[in-house]
Amino acid sequence: MGMAQSYAVETHGLSKRYATGVLAVNNLDLRVRTGEVYGFLGPNGAGKTTTLRMLSGLLRPTSGTATVAGGAPGSPASLAKLGAMVETPAFYPYLSGRDNLRVMARYSSVQKSRIEPVLQQVDMTDRASHKFKTYSTGMKQRLGVASALLKDPQLLILDEPTSGLDPQGTVEMRELIKDLRQGGRTVLLSSHLLNEVELTCDRVGVIARGSLVAEGTVDELRARSGGQALLVRASPIDQARRMLESLLKPDQVQLRDGLFTLAVGPSQAAAINRRLVADGVDVTELRVAEQSLEDVSLQLAENQP
Amino acid sequence: MIASLRADGLKMRKRWANWIMVAILLAWLVLLVYALLYLVVKTQPASLRGSQVPASVLIRQIFPENFIPTVLSTAASIGAAIMIIFGALSTASEYGWSTVQTILIQKPGRTAVLGGKGLALFVATVLISIAALAVSALSAYVVVTVDGSSSSWPAATEIVKGFGALILQLAVWAAFGAFLGIAFRSTAAAIGGGLVYLFVGEALLGSLFRTAPVIKDVLKLLPGINASGVNGAFRLTYTNPSNQVPLVDPTHGVITLLVYLVAFTVLSLLIFRRRDVGGG
Repeated sequence: MGMAQSYAVETHGLSKRYATGVLAVNNLDLRVRTGEVYGFLGPNGAGKTTTLRMLSGLLRPTSGTATVAGGAPGSPASLAKLGAMVETPAFYPYLSGRDNLRVMARYSSVQKSRIEPVLQQVDMTDRASHKFKTYSTGMKQRLGVASALLKDPQLLILDEPTSGLDPQGTVEMRELIKDLRQGGRTVLLSSHLLNEVELTCDRVGVIARGSLVAEGTVDELRARSGGQALLVRASPIDQARRMLESLLKPDQVQLRDGLFTLAVGPSQAAAINRRLVADGVDVTELRVAEQSLEDVSLQLAENQP
Repeated sequence: MIASLRADGLKMRKRWANWIMVAILLAWLVLLVYALLYLVVKTQPASLRGSQVPASVLIRQIFPENFIPTVLSTAASIGAAIMIIFGALSTASEYGWSTVQTILIQKPGRTAVLGGKGLALFVATVLISIAALAVSALSAYVVVTVDGSSSSWPAATEIVKGFGALILQLAVWAAFGAFLGIAFRSTAAAIGGGLVYLFVGEALLGSLFRTAPVIKDVLKLLPGINASGVNGAFRLTYTNPSNQVPLVDPTHGVITLLVYLVAFTVLSLLIFRRRDVGGG
């Protein structure tokens, strides 16, 4: 057994500048370990989909290199081990879901016998004989996942798999994604619903303006971004604000709906409480606010120069 | 490439638009070529009475002895238009539905995907050619039987040559349509551009300027003019003075059409292999 860490996805200095001049991905170094579920996060327009398109061989990088499932992106060697759903699932509207999978199975040289198991896996067996054009967004997304699973791939790339889904569909897709990681499969997932990423991913990469600004476990990212905040409710409010702004930097104090959000760790809670009380301010609420992963990713992105 | 051929074959077979186009071509042959000409000759309208070719001779165009040149002349007009649409639909639809990205992240590389599509188009062209020849032959047989006249079938070698000529020109138009589909990435633009070229660029300008000294030489390079040159090798069994003499000879026509077939294929491949899919 080798000591070296193996990567399902590895990029070095990957960049993409479109013909319009927009630099969508800038010198991206990304490493997704074999067998992990990796969450790819970032605000809209950060370069997530462009990156996933390059990894799938749909876009040519302007510069840099990438290895995906052991091969160059888009090469038959790489595609044989890759299942991907990039952006909206696109299929032939005049074909049924099952026939669409038959077409994809033929392209992939996959046995027809794989079709029913993947339809079952995404819970689409009942609607598989209906035409794709009659499908709801959720069914289209599920068929996209089924198509990505046809090859029983070692690496699965899912771009915004819950995009456009209603709450029920979101819950179903979340359960499906949890199942997909079983069997040692590597999953690279981008999503706008970050609590799902938080629940399912081993590691997370945050991309902003085309560059990777942070990478690590969810806990590591929280710690790196300042992690937590204190929530304080006190009166009189004006006196409390003057006191807090003298105690902390002004940009560490925010007031919304009568609740102060202080960008400091829980270790300072006791000291702040003592000062407020000593100055005659009544403290009616004091607690630690956990930042969501969305807050963390946005904060990390904003911290970039 | 075989995997892609099988996938494209399934898509083509299941698409109603393809069957409708084949039906239009065959119905055109039966109704607007054989049935219409038979009715015109039999009813002898006033406009036909002054014709240089007597009706009793003109009707021989739809007898079995002339079914090859008759089907080839149909292929040069409506056949070409239908094959442009056929080719354009097969490639441009992939962009319209964004399915191009779905198939490109399956196993085959881009060359294999387009190669399979090209092969599927060629197989469809061969089948359409067989159907057109069969329907034309059957219609000719029915006409001569109903008319109570006698006619002979062309020699087997002539039928084989005619079959080859039909496949060649239909394949060129299908490749042209497929190329436009890839170049424009839009079904409407590819079909519109292809039909405007066929009916305005080739048919209209070709007949208006076929005697103009310099333009005549340019016209000799166009696919439609060369298809007519190939069709010139299959003459009707009577002389019709109103028919135009082809600008090029059949050999020139075959070589030029083969060059076009290769050129459209290579250009399509170059664009398809190099172009980004999605984004920017």
